[in-house]
Amino acid sequence: MGKVKIKKKSTLIDMTAMSDVTVLLLTFFMLTSTFLKKEPTVVYTPSSVSEEAIPTSNLVTVLVSAADKKDPNNIKGEGKIFLSFTGDSLISNENLRVLILDEAVKIWNKQHAKNTITLTDRERANFSKIQMMGTPFMNLKNALNMDPAKLEAEQTDLTNPNVGIPINDNNDPDGRLNDFQIWCQAINFVASDKRKEKIKDLGLDESTPEGRDKIRELDILYNAVKQGSGITVKADKDTPFASINRVFDNLQTMRLNKFTLQTALKAETN
Amino acid sequence: MAQIDTSSSGGKRKKGAQKKMAIHVDFTPMVDMNMLLITFFMLCTTMIQSRTMQIFLPSNDKNIKEEDKNEAKADEAITLILDTEYQDGSLLPAHDENGNTKHRIYYYEGMADEANSNVIGQKRASKGAVALSQFTTTEQGQQGIRQILRERHKDVMDEYDKLKEQWRNKEITKEVFEEKAKELATTEKFKHPVVVIKPGPNATYESLISALDELNINQIRRYSIQMPTHQDTVLLENFQKANPSVKVINPPVRK
Repeated sequence: MGKVKIKKKSTLIDMTAMSDVTVLLLTFFMLTSTFLKKEPTVVYTPSSVSEEAIPTSNLVTVLVSAADKKDPNNIKGEGKIFLSFTGDSLISNENLRVLILDEAVKIWNKQHAKNTITLTDRERANFSKIQMMGTPFMNLKNALNMDPAKLEAEQTDLTNPNVGIPINDNNDPDGRLNDFQIWCQAINFVASDKRKEKIKDLGLDESTPEGRDKIRELDILYNAVKQGSGITVKADKDTPFASINRVFDNLQTMRLNKFTLQTALKAETN
Repeated sequence: MAQIDTSSSGGKRKKGAQKKMAIHVDFTPMVDMNMLLITFFMLCTTMIQSRTMQIFLPSNDKNIKEEDKNEAKADEAITLILDTEYQDGSLLPAHDENGNTKHRIYYYEGMADEANSNVIGQKRASKGAVALSQFTTTEQGQQGIRQILRERHKDVMDEYDKLKEQWRNKEITKEVFEEKAKELATTEKFKHPVVVIKPGPNATYESLISALDELNINQIRRYSIQMPTHQDTVLLENFQKANPSVKVINPPVRK
């Protein structure tokens, strides 16, 4: 009787092709991706047909928090304000944050002689590392002395009174400003300061029409804010308009009445 | 990992012939690692395409004189009062079967006619009448706000559609199309409506964005966002009284 010979087959599979595919996919993801910014709260922006992309430089983002999705009747955390600053190729995000912080603290100290804030270099350095900031001035020094990871954790607790930039009271541009308005004014100051510096650096002449045209085309925060692309409001679609309107109203008071609203892309349907 | 296969392939080999070496590199760990990296990138990236929408609001400056403010003429104005439906006893908006939030738009053209506030389900309300609409056209033939606005901007929209057709057929470039569309939306040749958007007390942010979207789609450049007046509130109350079929659920009072 003939023996049935079972052929020993090699179980090795050639993985080269598979590897090729995965590397290609990896390259695709690496090139197309933009990393999620670390934000203290997640908001789902409403969708619109507008196709303008978010600028990647010279941008101030105003985040308005939404009510807790898991417990929608808990609205304590709704409408809290957070700010983030994005610089450009010349002024890094860290630099811009410190510049605006210094200016804002100056304005605060002028208005609150009894509660002045002086920040150490270390505290300022800590501030420059915070991506998205939402702390009242009264708690600023305290927050900047905290361990960064701990601060980050605290910022996600929206019911904490020390989280969120106060925006409620007062709407008088010449009187005592609220915290949000102080930040707005600081942005205005820094933007126009940097503009002056840039004009000096480039040796442009503001008195001639050509010079003015050139200045208007510069990629600087001042122009972005003036032309309406420098400030963007990001809010949840289910947030009541009243909370959003508070932000609009404060921005209007601070003469920042041109801005953009962040939306998600949606196809135009009939 | 990398194996050099030196086993002879069976047959006799000439003496002195060079050994053929087949090199197998096992790529399995490489694939494993790549897969891990892909997973990481997929989880850490945003797939939502974020876009922005420009909005220009008037300055709050009190020094602006009353006469400098542009008042819309009554025959140009359309007022949209935005409203959102809520789930009973909850602070979350109600959704329809497609998962979209249910928004309502009460609208009237020109000055509101308080006596005439019970128009639902008609194709188009008569002038001054307060009517109810929504962002989508329903199957019952009730027009969505897009058609209503389009009707008011018909001359421009017809021209705009022709332009768009030309652009789709590659007769004109995108730049020319955008330029001409911009000119169309502001030209003096045609009448342009002015839309007054009034987000009501229940309106959500999404309803505002949707309303602004409808203006964009209909090439309407002149609009203002205002808070509803006392008169508007009374108007809505009358409307709801006259139309018991419009179920109104107010969300619990926010503090």
